[in-house]
Amino acid sequence: MLSPKRTRYRKQHKGRIHGNAKGGTKLNFGAYGLKATTPDRVTSRQIEAARRAITRHMKRVGKLWICIFPDVPVSQKPAEVRQGKGKGSPEYWAARVHPGRIMFELDGVPEDVARRAFDLASAKLPVQTRFIKRLEEE
Amino acid sequence: MSDFAVLEATARDRAGKGAARAVRKQGLVPGVIYGSSDASVLLKMDPRILSTHMRKAGFFATQFHVDVEGSKHRVLPKEVQFHPVTDDPIHVDFLRVTDRTRVTVEIPVRFENQEDAPGLTVGGVLNVVRYAVEVVTAAGDIPDEVVIDLSGLEIGDSVRISNVTLPEGVKPSITDRDFVIASIGAPTQIVQEEAAEEDDMDVPTIAEDDAAKEEGGEE
Repeated sequence: MLSPKRTRYRKQHKGRIHGNAKGGTKLNFGAYGLKATTPDRVTSRQIEAARRAITRHMKRVGKLWICIFPDVPVSQKPAEVRQGKGKGSPEYWAARVHPGRIMFELDGVPEDVARRAFDLASAKLPVQTRFIKRLEEE
Repeated sequence: MSDFAVLEATARDRAGKGAARAVRKQGLVPGVIYGSSDASVLLKMDPRILSTHMRKAGFFATQFHVDVEGSKHRVLPKEVQFHPVTDDPIHVDFLRVTDRTRVTVEIPVRFENQEDAPGLTVGGVLNVVRYAVEVVTAAGDIPDEVVIDLSGLEIGDSVRISNVTLPEGVKPSITDRDFVIASIGAPTQIVQEEAAEEDDMDVPTIAEDDAAKEEGGEE
């Protein structure tokens, strides 16, 4: 699963996801993309589950790009622990995804295969998504 | 050169984001025509007209006549801004041109003879690095497309700008390096899927990492 190699600090504030994506809203590599339309934190497990769903559906053709990276450490307190006594320990990594952000790009497969692969991936993700393709098709 | 498509538009009088938002509330797209020594013209147009032309390859290398309430301007689309979530056009820029205007435009790339590329027939993927090549040319000489012949290419081969013959008077805007337009890569491999690995939360902080390196260096 994706995770940073090293960080400046072990724990971060929770934060909020405000507004729309400022970058990463257009296709850069592939002919098809999966765009988020709602904000949420996407965990490294969810990214990995989506990646597996896509590559399995594509069989052995095509190329996939993952355009988000989980760089936010999310901490949790153990079960049945009273409040206080400091912040919990980091449990997993997540990416903050703003609406408009392209999360995956795909190329080298027919459009129907790409649509189905992204449908399967979308079911693994906490955000609402939209299938997009390059405008200049004809 | 009267065979350019005509885009119908109407003039708008106020500039600025308030005025542009008011135009968008009417269901129209605000825009502007600028260039040469003439004054800029503020306009608004139907997004459906714009979308029809944007779907065709090479929109930004295609010249149009924009008809703003009777006055026609020969233009080249310079930029279209899109909403990040809905991908609807929210603003359009047109550059006023003549035959001799030197312009920098992106020409769409078309690949041919894909079935004659051994690398693609054995399962390789055409990895398009540039779907369009930026060139500097006179507005009257803008080519329709850049054609790239893929016959004979194997997995690992790439097509560079030096392999492409451009028409006379057309030069790539990037001149300091021989850039890649496309390559043939191996497909994404399905790796043996191991049991769900855990998140590695033992990531060193930069301070810890540097301290460890210093200790290692001292020994």
